[in-house]
Amino acid sequence: MRTLLHPRYALLRQLATLGIVIAFWEYAGTLGWLNPLYMPRPSAIGIALRDLFLDGRIWPHMQATFTAALGGLLLGVLAGIVLGIVAALVCLLSELIEPIMLVLNAIPRVILAPLFIIWFGIGLGSKIALSFVLVAVVIFFNVFGAVKNVDRRLVERIVTLGGGRWSLLRQVYLPSITASVLQNLKVAIGFAFTGAVVGEFVGASRGLGYLISFAQSTYNAALMIALVLLILVVVLVIFALANQAEKRLMQWR
Amino acid sequence: MRVSNVSLSYGGEPVLEGASLKVGSGQFVSLVGPSGSGKSSLLRVAMGLQKPFAGSVDLELPKSDIGILFQDDALLPWRTARQNVSLGLRFRGMAKQQALQKADEWLAKLGLEGFEDRYPRHLSGGQRKRVALAQVLALEPKLLLMDEPFASLDAIVRTKVIQDVVQLVEREKIAVLLVTHDLEEAISLSDVVYLLSQGPRARISNEYKISIPRPRDLVRARLHPSYAPLLEKLWNDLSDEVQGNGNGHVAKGPIYMAAE
Repeated sequence: MRTLLHPRYALLRQLATLGIVIAFWEYAGTLGWLNPLYMPRPSAIGIALRDLFLDGRIWPHMQATFTAALGGLLLGVLAGIVLGIVAALVCLLSELIEPIMLVLNAIPRVILAPLFIIWFGIGLGSKIALSFVLVAVVIFFNVFGAVKNVDRRLVERIVTLGGGRWSLLRQVYLPSITASVLQNLKVAIGFAFTGAVVGEFVGASRGLGYLISFAQSTYNAALMIALVLLILVVVLVIFALANQAEKRLMQWR
Repeated sequence: MRVSNVSLSYGGEPVLEGASLKVGSGQFVSLVGPSGSGKSSLLRVAMGLQKPFAGSVDLELPKSDIGILFQDDALLPWRTARQNVSLGLRFRGMAKQQALQKADEWLAKLGLEGFEDRYPRHLSGGQRKRVALAQVLALEPKLLLMDEPFASLDAIVRTKVIQDVVQLVEREKIAVLLVTHDLEEAISLSDVVYLLSQGPRARISNEYKISIPRPRDLVRARLHPSYAPLLEKLWNDLSDEVQGNGNGHVAKGPIYMAAE
């Protein structure tokens, strides 16, 4: 008994607890204590999840959400890096870019979703745009900060060793920027999926967000919870990939 | 190297006035002084990192023959020891493989064989200092400018690192200008010690020649008969400066510690 309390078995204890909760939930459902309309049994959710994959209708939706999220992520990271560097190095442009970013940072950016649907239609464009805005602002502030707060001592060191502008960029600025982007990549990934799903939720004909919206309109709680679980797993897998990339590129930490 | 009549000011406040000193070839020169006397600033002027208010610095050497070492080791955290040491060589156009090989040689000279692939974070303070030294010495400078480079090390590591530096500097006949507030370090290492007076308007108030024979051993240098009287004299002169009645300029007004 004592050995089971060892910190090493924390995961085991967590899984066991989850199992007990699910079993109790299932049992409560069969006894009729829970209204299946609001709180479907875990087995019903499992079946809904299985059905999504069995008839293959989930794939086009997954593809739509992934395309939007990854497209927005890629463009947002690129734009954030470029704008961050430019704003940090060129004073005149920073006067223009920084206030816009501050405003975009202050508002909950998802409220732009309806506007983007008017501008870009209910297709992929509006979802990528929302993901993009969510991601770009976060990355912008990180890169802006990384360039502004670059370690002066390292800059002086490179200069006294005889390094020029290109060496400074390559040896000091780019590694600082890479580090700050990688550290915030998970936040950015989260935002990218938020943008894609919320965009689909507001107006779309495809995507996981659209399916959730569909499940809501048909009062299909089992499908809805199944979709939430699916998105959760997808994002966790991508987090794991981001962790691997971070570990590999940040060995020096 | 020759520093002539250099004056400095910070935000309109004069810090240093008309400081002159010279470092002969192969000579080890130290600059000591109370906090706020502007000794670090003087060195920064010599390094070309700061413009003097008046006066001039004549290095009498091409810039590439000068090595600079600060108090912090300022190694790139994302580069290994070997890569850090090879930086200066690469900036001078040396091929990558050759630069890395030379870096390894210098790391070995400083006792860091087997640590070439470590990142700075995975090295101790003394080891990082040695990497920073290798980085500078790999460029084979003729003049080494150092600003309290050993201040962050604990006593034992510090003595060992300094001993290695003295040996290398003596062997390679490198001239050194060292800024320090440690009088014992200054005397046991140097051929000449300059004392800066208390700032503001600090100036060089005295010059001491030290005739302990070379090659020097840090511990034995302290046993030399001329060591103790010199230390006492320097200490007395320095205390006079701090109290404001030295033979240099008498301090007026507030003392700006931040100027260092």
